[in-house]
Amino acid sequence: MKRRENKPSRIAMTFFNWYCHPEFREEIEGDLMERFSTYSLKYGHNKANRLFIKDVLFMFRPSIVGNIYHLTNTDTMEITNQNKRLITILATAIALLLTPLIAMNFTNDVNWKILDFLVAGILLIGTGLTLEIILRKIKTLRYRILFGITLFVVLLLIWAELAVGIFGTPFAGS
Amino acid sequence: MSQKTLGEFEEIVILIVAILNGDAYSVSIITEIDERLNRNVSLGAIQTVLKRLENKGLLKSEFGDATNERGGKRKRLYEVTAEGQKILDHTRVQRNSLWEAIPRLSFKLY
Repeated sequence: MKRRENKPSRIAMTFFNWYCHPEFREEIEGDLMERFSTYSLKYGHNKANRLFIKDVLFMFRPSIVGNIYHLTNTDTMEITNQNKRLITILATAIALLLTPLIAMNFTNDVNWKILDFLVAGILLIGTGLTLEIILRKIKTLRYRILFGITLFVVLLLIWAELAVGIFGTPFAGS
Repeated sequence: MSQKTLGEFEEIVILIVAILNGDAYSVSIITEIDERLNRNVSLGAIQTVLKRLENKGLLKSEFGDATNERGGKRKRLYEVTAEGQKILDHTRVQRNSLWEAIPRLSFKLY
């Protein structure tokens, strides 16, 4: 608890470290910390933290950001790649959902109702988001593969249970 | 130098840097402005002006010491350059001449 009281908002500091030009980072970070330290003594941790966040937000201006090239040099690139991957995953889930919708126009064998699309949508998007979390949080390839395969097996089992009922649960389809 | 003019806030910042005489960095400048002029200035505004004045060649800077309360980060200490002193003198002379040019009658009305 005492440790927390000596530290300003980590999110605000991460935001500052992202936008601030590397050339100015050390001096300005020091200034921010010094002001936070003064605020803490004067007003206590909560208000000091609010004032710290205000300082960080008001600092976000062209003269401090400098040229924008550094914004894509550090972790920003990874964030962009992660977001691209997330969009791909969500687009794949939506494309899979569209498949039965299109098929319904050509054959009577596929006959999905709104509830079917809703459940399938939750399943697919939920699986996609879980996969994205796994890829973001787990960095070891071995565990990524392990958790990824487990996720897909769980998805297939739930799908099969809802479609044809292999376990005989109350949600089993026929 | 004749092409260079100082904004009101720029002038204040250079004067404060001169007053602080070797101990001028953004936080101490903000405190000094607050104490002397009762004016609240944000860290972003002061950093912007300091960078601009340094680019104009009116201030120069170097890294100072790191302290614990700064999270181990060094300060950037500012000093007024010879050109900065010249422009301050020039501004002062200009202001004085303008004050002296005001007819006494102008102020008697108020």
